[in-house]
Amino acid sequence: MLSINGLATAYGKIEALKGVSLQAGAGQVTCLLGPNGAGKSTLMLTIAGILKPKAGSIRFENEELVGKSCADIVARGLALVPENRLVFPALTVRENLMAGAYRRRDRAAIRDDIDKMFVRFPRLKERIEQSAGTLSGGEQQMLAVARALMSRPRLLLMDEPSVGLAPLVVAEIFEIIRQLHGEGVSIFLVEQNAHMALKVAHHFYLMEQGLVTFSGNPGEMSGDDVIQRAYLGKRRAA
Amino acid sequence: MNYNNLLDLSQSLIDGVLFGSIYALIGIGFTLIFGVMNKINLSYAAASVAAAYVSLLIVQTAPPALVYVAAALVGGVLGALVYLICFHLLPLNKPLATLMSTVGMLLLIDEAIVHITAGMPQNYPAMFVGANIDIGPLSLRSDLLFVFGFGCLVMIGLTLLLKRTRLGLATRAVSQQPVAAQLCGMSITGTNMSTFVIAGFLGGTAGAMAGAAIGVLSPLLTLPLTVKGLVVTVIGGLGSIPGAIIAGLVVGGAENLFQYLRGVSERDIYVMLLLFAFLVFRPGGLFPPPAGRD
Ligand SMILES: Nc1ncnc2c1ncn2[C@@H]1O[C@H](COP(=O)(O)OP(=O)(O)O)[C@@H](O)[C@H]1O
Ligand SMILES: [Mg+2]
Repeated sequence: MLSINGLATAYGKIEALKGVSLQAGAGQVTCLLGPNGAGKSTLMLTIAGILKPKAGSIRFENEELVGKSCADIVARGLALVPENRLVFPALTVRENLMAGAYRRRDRAAIRDDIDKMFVRFPRLKERIEQSAGTLSGGEQQMLAVARALMSRPRLLLMDEPSVGLAPLVVAEIFEIIRQLHGEGVSIFLVEQNAHMALKVAHHFYLMEQGLVTFSGNPGEMSGDDVIQRAYLGKRRAA
Repeated sequence: MNYNNLLDLSQSLIDGVLFGSIYALIGIGFTLIFGVMNKINLSYAAASVAAAYVSLLIVQTAPPALVYVAAALVGGVLGALVYLICFHLLPLNKPLATLMSTVGMLLLIDEAIVHITAGMPQNYPAMFVGANIDIGPLSLRSDLLFVFGFGCLVMIGLTLLLKRTRLGLATRAVSQQPVAAQLCGMSITGTNMSTFVIAGFLGGTAGAMAGAAIGVLSPLLTLPLTVKGLVVTVIGGLGSIPGAIIAGLVVGGAENLFQYLRGVSERDIYVMLLLFAFLVFRPGGLFPPPAGRD
């Protein structure tokens, strides 16, 4: 579904991605692990079209995304729940959801989808006319997910959705990931919480210093020190 | 202070508040542009006056109301031009670049006005001149009342546009969280451009209303409108539209009071003192922007 090859992205002279190749399969939950500063968020922002890569290709459903605008990418069915949620603080919950549907013109269906979001996220419904900045961290994360879903993505990218949240809320987030997967949405997840990720993901990648250094399914991870490296950023002794 | 003084004082306050709607419009324009771009467009008030000048081209054939609408439309066109020339072509991460380009544009517009009109004031059409509305011993100048009402209509229109339309949603989203706005499929450049056009409509209206309230357009208008607009923006709170409206009316009223009490030559000193007091005691203005973006 998503196939990335030799992707390189830099901030000025800082090379954050140095030739990343990986795949996210259709109908799967793919998880990217890695220590802070590895380049995970840079990868997400490059896929979504916010950052322009220096080299490499990003193919989504056999179409090249490199060179396309964010608007084109989201219209093709790929949405990102960004790191730190980035809700619109002074817009109401409803307006945040409307913003997520910005590229759609089917007004009746948009209204239906908002109602569906409130079934999925009942706590957002209670806060519908409240400005997003007044929500708790967990509620903001739910809103960020709901906003991304409003574009009706077939592939949902999520950048550390559980970070900074209470354990119960983290469990809720993973429950939602499981539900979405059950409904046929493919998911590409960046996660520090490897133990939760192990419960939902089908395939794992480890990124260190701008490169993919491990690829495998959950079973292949136990015999490796992937999880330790994901947290500590230690490279295995050669 | 005797009864008559008190009456005069109240009258100046009322006239000033009504005229303050023009400052409010200019303040909103500064604030709107700052909201989406985090940058000040110093040429804004000058372009607003220029738009009113251009609308004089149809003054022989069209009724005043149409002249005002023309000024608003020309303001929108000038807004787009200023965006393209002073912002779109320049590196936005260098704060001084766009500041200086808009200073340059301010001077260019000023010079153009002076050259084309030879610096002579031009009559500008007003509406409802002379028909005043008396409330007890006070009287409301109906031409000023019209200026005030027209300004309020434009502000209501702007509020509806921002709150009820897709374009307004994008404008607010981009100003609050540009990365997320792009992820939703909104275009930053497109939103910047349309914000300049909308601010230009407001500015053109303000220029026309200034002409209508004073009866003439003169190159001497651009500097005070620029300064008062910036004062209003700061007192209202950078980025706040309600703040700009209230501050506009306050500055308009205060300015006229100071003029009544201390004379026209000292008036602006006191306006600046008012600004200074805000900068010292309430630097965020009436409606301070939220601390930092996350
Ligand atoms: N806006 C930026 N400007 C310059 N360097 C950046 C910027 N964002 C991230 N980096 C650098 O790029 C590298 C990768 O960062 P990031 O993608 O945020 O990592 P991760 O999400 O894995 O923690 C880090 O070295 C970081 O310091
Ligand atoms: Mg990150």
